[in-house]
Amino acid sequence: MMTTPRAPGTARDPPRGSGLAWGGPARRPAPVARATLLTAMLGGAALLAHAVPQSYAIDPEQTHIHWELRHFGTSTSRGRFDDISGNITLDREARRGDASITIATGSVSTGFGPYDGVVRGPYVLSTTAYPKAYFVSNRFVFEGDRLTAVEGVLTLRDIGRALTLRALRFSCRTDTEPAREVCGGDFEAEFPRSAYEVTHSLPFVADKVRVVIQIEAARR
Amino acid sequence: MGRLLLTGLIATAASIAHAESVTYAIDPSHTFVTFEANHFGTSTLRGRFDRKDGAVMIDKAAKTGKAEISVDANSVSTGVPALDTQLKGKDFLNAAEFSRVTFSADKFSFSGDKVSEVAGTLTLLGKTQPVTLKATHYNCYLNPLIKRETCGGDFETTITRSRFGMPYGLDYGLPDDIHLLIQIEAIKQ
Repeated sequence: MMTTPRAPGTARDPPRGSGLAWGGPARRPAPVARATLLTAMLGGAALLAHAVPQSYAIDPEQTHIHWELRHFGTSTSRGRFDDISGNITLDREARRGDASITIATGSVSTGFGPYDGVVRGPYVLSTTAYPKAYFVSNRFVFEGDRLTAVEGVLTLRDIGRALTLRALRFSCRTDTEPAREVCGGDFEAEFPRSAYEVTHSLPFVADKVRVVIQIEAARR
Repeated sequence: MGRLLLTGLIATAASIAHAESVTYAIDPSHTFVTFEANHFGTSTLRGRFDRKDGAVMIDKAAKTGKAEISVDANSVSTGVPALDTQLKGKDFLNAAEFSRVTFSADKFSFSGDKVSEVAGTLTLLGKTQPVTLKATHYNCYLNPLIKRETCGGDFETTITRSRFGMPYGLDYGLPDDIHLLIQIEAIKQ
């Protein structure tokens, strides 16, 4: 089910529709009035549809993992992973879900070339030895209908540790062109990098890593 | 008379201030502007500018400062090349015509000895509007690698892009408010 991660530097999927990557008429969600009507008309069908788990493929254009580290107790250094793929299953009626996400560690990008080299190198991510990191979860936590957290395991440098992603927001929308349901949101989590044996530059660069995740996934 | 005295006092203060004003050059490896934009109410897109330059002058005794920082609109980076191309295009940053986005400030507020707010103007697409950056963290330290004082922190603000003449997509739900997260560190010269 999982898409094969692209090698760093290779072309991404071509933009769909009008060729606009962000928004653009071809990617617009259904107008509210129309969506409401559609929801009303198809209410029964939608309920039925949600009663069984639905599979969603991660949209790489709207899925990013950013990390943040405090530098010398002063400012926040950021980086991101550009190549992320995976699948999410969501059963909103039963309030269950699972996620399987693969991160190509070599796609890390800080905006400053020499740091990319350090982060890919043996003292941090060791991307040659460990080209992939994974987040896997089969426990989606709901409060009422609202998804509040995703509990899973983050595997980095072949070391697996429990990690809970807190949902800052999560919702689903219906796009018209291409016609599809898209679910997604923003999540955050913290963990000590020393738990993954990454101790380079401690204590000048903090142990605590904050990760900020943007994710959108389209129903298959 | 009163006004003359005030002018005299300010002039004296200004000359003292100049005597203690220290220039800091921004460290490009620890200075980034990251923007956040809500995507159709679902998730938050982030992007950053990779090329920038600038300097900050701070007078710790007089609690004054000046800053002039520019980013290159052509260096916008979201991790999605097609989106970068779109953002550099005429609908958004129009980087071919307006490559420099500049923040210029001369009103520094302090809380104790820490910078708490920097008020100035942002010039984007050739239009200049007032912008105030709020510090969420600020600190100075002696960098052991270069043996020089480094000051900086995290700042944030929200700009309304239509005010700079960038209204593209507002009619179908792209956000007008763009949140800016600014990491800055600058090295004493």
